[in-house]
Amino acid sequence: MSEGYEPKILMFACNWCSYAAADLAGTSRMKVPHNIRIVRVMCSGRVDPQLIIEAFTSGADGVLVTGCRIGDCHYIEGNYKTLRRIILLKKALEQLGIESERLRLEWIAASDAKRFVEIAVDTVERLRKLGPLKRHFDELSRVIEEVRGIE
Amino acid sequence: MSEEVRVGVYICHCGTNIAGTVDVEEVTRYASTLPGVVIARSYIFMCSEPGQQLIKDDIVKYKLNRVVVAACSPALHELTFRRAVEEAGLNPYLFEMVNIREHNSWVHPDKVQATEKAKDLVRMAVAKAIELKPLEDIKVEVNKSALVVGGGIAGLAAALYLARMGFMVHLVERKPTLGGHTARIPFITYLGVRGDELVESYVKALMAMPNVKIYVNSDVVLLEGGAGAFKARIRMRPRYVSAKCNLCGECEKVCPVEVPNEYEYGLVRRKAIFLPFEKAYPLLYAIDMEACTRCGACVNVCPVEAIDLEETEKHEDVTVGVVILATGFDPYEPEREEFGYKLSDRVLTLFQIQRLLDERGPTKGEIVVNGKIPKTIVFIACVGSMGVGRKAGRYCSRMCCSTIMSCALKIRERIPDSTVFIIGRDIRTYGYEEDLYWKALEGDVRFVRYDEWPEVRVTTEGSIEVLVRDVTVGEYLLIPADLLVLGVGASPGKYLKEVLKVIRVGCGDEGFVREAHLKLRPVEAPTEGIYVAGAVTGPKSVVESITHGMAAASRASSILSKDYVSAEPMIAMVNEDLCSGCLVCIGMCPYNAITTKTLDGRRVARVNPIVCMGCGTCVAACPSGAMQQQGLEDRILLAQIRAFSR
Repeated sequence: MSEGYEPKILMFACNWCSYAAADLAGTSRMKVPHNIRIVRVMCSGRVDPQLIIEAFTSGADGVLVTGCRIGDCHYIEGNYKTLRRIILLKKALEQLGIESERLRLEWIAASDAKRFVEIAVDTVERLRKLGPLKRHFDELSRVIEEVRGIE
Repeated sequence: MSEEVRVGVYICHCGTNIAGTVDVEEVTRYASTLPGVVIARSYIFMCSEPGQQLIKDDIVKYKLNRVVVAACSPALHELTFRRAVEEAGLNPYLFEMVNIREHNSWVHPDKVQATEKAKDLVRMAVAKAIELKPLEDIKVEVNKSALVVGGGIAGLAAALYLARMGFMVHLVERKPTLGGHTARIPFITYLGVRGDELVESYVKALMAMPNVKIYVNSDVVLLEGGAGAFKARIRMRPRYVSAKCNLCGECEKVCPVEVPNEYEYGLVRRKAIFLPFEKAYPLLYAIDMEACTRCGACVNVCPVEAIDLEETEKHEDVTVGVVILATGFDPYEPEREEFGYKLSDRVLTLFQIQRLLDERGPTKGEIVVNGKIPKTIVFIACVGSMGVGRKAGRYCSRMCCSTIMSCALKIRERIPDSTVFIIGRDIRTYGYEEDLYWKALEGDVRFVRYDEWPEVRVTTEGSIEVLVRDVTVGEYLLIPADLLVLGVGASPGKYLKEVLKVIRVGCGDEGFVREAHLKLRPVEAPTEGIYVAGAVTGPKSVVESITHGMAAASRASSILSKDYVSAEPMIAMVNEDLCSGCLVCIGMCPYNAITTKTLDGRRVARVNPIVCMGCGTCVAACPSGAMQQQGLEDRILLAQIRAFSR
């Protein structure tokens, strides 16, 4: 891929675990790749596939969905619902022409800043290899409209 | 909203914390060019009085109706700024915070990249802020009662002080008796009192209060709602023995089943029907159904017909304003063969030796091991703490050093010709308990300091040798011991994971429950209305647990003394016009907050605002967009995401 390409990543973080882990990375003065912009939600369960697709159409090369570890969800089982949703969405993404590897789901405990950093580094690395997302916007928006029509 | 949107953006330098890495002036200039932005400023400390005043003045001067502050994590100052904008007459939920410190300046060394990221985050936040709508806090009537989970010393202290403040207290204990580990400690270091007597004084005081309800043999199986109005379901497991029991003990004599007695830490055995210990509360026999074979022998001999093997569990629902979690700890359980554990009768844990030394214990305080009075007694400190032991945490268990000193002194006193070794890493008899260390030194207790784990050898005849490298002389010592005591520390409670599935509080790496903030919000869980007390938060001595319990009671009273508390309005709401009544949302809700109602002859979803915790999982699942989370509506998040690229 082109030299010096910096992937743009949008990360959904839950208020209780992964957002706090990113905070802890800050207070611990860890080094985090600069490519990530975090959108805070209360629970990863709030992350609607619509939001993820919007992130891809709005310029993200990769989307990270993060929440509490399974069994540790602040809202009991919101992250479990997310897991099911992401599995399905990955299949749909391929059909939209977006490599499913661009969407990544990870569980990060509030105390696990190290894991947050590792995931951030690794995601940037993987996306660098994939290169920029090729956007067929007209095609994509037609499919999205279709999907919305079905709903 | 037809009103023109007027956004004020404030970029914080945080001294050099942000300004050292982010070109704050550049971000401010950039923010002023964003659509909707009327004024953008930077200031050295936005959270300071003058910083907040700057925002308040601008709200009036520029007729701002949205405020964006780019500073630290919202976990720190979101509430500060919400309050500030509210004081200037703006709805607090028309405020949006951008994290450019923890998520930016502190983690990115490159100034250009950090500045670009700050600009992106501010742009996204402004786009989000434009979509915000005023929200009202949810007002919850406070139920003037508390649920205390755990009847150990911390729970007892919390329950008693809440009761004395006049609040109704429901105290729930899993075991058939109150008192926890404290009740089994024969001498509490520094306090100089017996544990069972200390527990007794608390329990008697509690029992005399009309506003206290005690549930033993019980646990909380459901907790929903929030501060002011939690709904809890208490499961009362059957005891199979009623209050008619006159303690004659005939049942125990005929019971054919024997199991290790957990109240004596397995030092002796008990029957399946048993009296937990001499000063148990309530003082009644109980049947351990896991061990019981339902042979019925006890039923036949009971002279007062107190035993009913067919008793079933009961449930009671209570509504409380606050919850105090005080489920304590369990002793570190070494793995088999770890330091000779369970390889010989001559290897005991610190909790077992305390039972052995208790004048009211199974041996009436007589120290007899394998039929003989031990002459050489070796304590290994830090087993299960500070990384010593295969499952050990890295923390210090706080309670063990002092307890080891007390036990060593008792042994020296009762067996004058004994030799006592304490093999330790660092001796941490902190505070006033240092006195015990001095006494131990004066009492001819011998100390050996180790860094490598000591090796325990058990011969086939069961005799013990401890091989330890003495750090101070750098030599290996081989100590033959008649009795080896493993100074085990505290581990997270055996049932804690199960409890936390119901009472949603997070744990730290070591498995203990975490307080919301050690210095700013101790004894509080991150969830409002839930407090944590005692060793459930990490190892604590008896005295510390009492203090902690009282602190939790005191903090909890800050809610209980109010008539109403307000809850954040970020809950799910149904647009009834759009709702098709498919009810996908109901299956999503972990709290059963969604029910249905009939509107003009059609079925629509209905959210109970008190029970909804605001996760938004139902929102993501709603196919028609009828379910929305206030403050995080699709519209708002989509606007924020669309601003991802400029």
